[in-house]
Amino acid sequence: MVLLRRALAALGIAGLIAAVLRLRGSGGTPPQEGGWRELTGPELD
Amino acid sequence: MPARVLLVGAGAVGARAARQLVEADDVDEVVIVDPDAARRRAVVTSSGDKATDGGPSSADVAGAVDAVLLAGPNGTHVPEGRRHLALGRIVVSCADGIPDVSGLLDLGPEAEARGTRVVVGAGFSPGLTCVLARHAARRFEVVDEIHVARLGTGGPACARAHHKALSGTSLDWRDGGWQRRPAGSGRELCWFPDPVGGQDCYRAELPDALLLVPPFPRVSRVTARLAATRRDRITARLPMLRKPHPEGLVGAGRVEVRGRRQGAQDVVVLGVLDRPAVAAGAVAALALRWARAERLPVGAHGLAAVEDTVGFLAELARIGIKAAAFEGSAT
Repeated sequence: MVLLRRALAALGIAGLIAAVLRLRGSGGTPPQEGGWRELTGPELD
Repeated sequence: MPARVLLVGAGAVGARAARQLVEADDVDEVVIVDPDAARRRAVVTSSGDKATDGGPSSADVAGAVDAVLLAGPNGTHVPEGRRHLALGRIVVSCADGIPDVSGLLDLGPEAEARGTRVVVGAGFSPGLTCVLARHAARRFEVVDEIHVARLGTGGPACARAHHKALSGTSLDWRDGGWQRRPAGSGRELCWFPDPVGGQDCYRAELPDALLLVPPFPRVSRVTARLAATRRDRITARLPMLRKPHPEGLVGAGRVEVRGRRQGAQDVVVLGVLDRPAVAAGAVAALALRWARAERLPVGAHGLAAVEDTVGFLAELARIGIKAAAFEGSAT
């Protein structure tokens, strides 16, 4: 019974950590320079 | 010769497509079909003299039809497309679900045999993003990777598809094979045109790879991601908790193409910012007119098959849908 309770507790904690990691993630890096410009010219470059 | 066009679906995208079609010189009648009588009548009334009421079903429309634009919800496009193709009509579909896109692409051999065109995924994304991918690819001798991301939804049917896409299975192309992974995973910060800026995007059940692999046979990776909030991801596997808005607000698409030219690797990032339903309606209407003018290839293709991307994007720019390029760090 103790073993079962410990196993269930371990599974619960693992699930909780996985949920937090899944929702938070590691993110990304925003561009450090540059920006958007409209495509112009005869070839829309 | 001016065309008689059948428009199936009078939702947010269909209404915008109708507006574009009635203003075209090469279209003389737009027959609008939708099971919702009030919505159908509203679009017919607001679209002017060229628009006529076709009733609840396209099967009831009498007389010759040159081309059909399918702007109804996902799940309805394959049987409609098959029926109209059997009558030798040009078919243009705005569907963005994998079963619809896959089923319509399967009509390719029949379309080729009949010498007609089935244009698949002719909306905002897929659709305009496919044209941007082809446009970016012009700068490379070899295209290695294409990564598409989009933000925003059109009408309620599009919002439901967005919700469903985050709970399904994504379909990416990697090293010559299809790779399926759970939607909602693979978080990536994607930078969209201003003022949207950076948004977290995730894998989703999107058909972009199905449409982008055939025109780029040497491509090794094609992925598609959807911008989503944490609430979107948490609730993705539940029924929609509230009714979707009549139309989404601003949307954006972004295409990153990696390739080689003169032996060096490079990356081109193109994007577009608009209301998804407005842009999708305009793209679908233009695709239909180009298919009629034989400016798209015979068979079933996505809009990455457009050869004259400059002409296509220039026509969209004239009605205010303008593409942009990102210059600087690509991450």
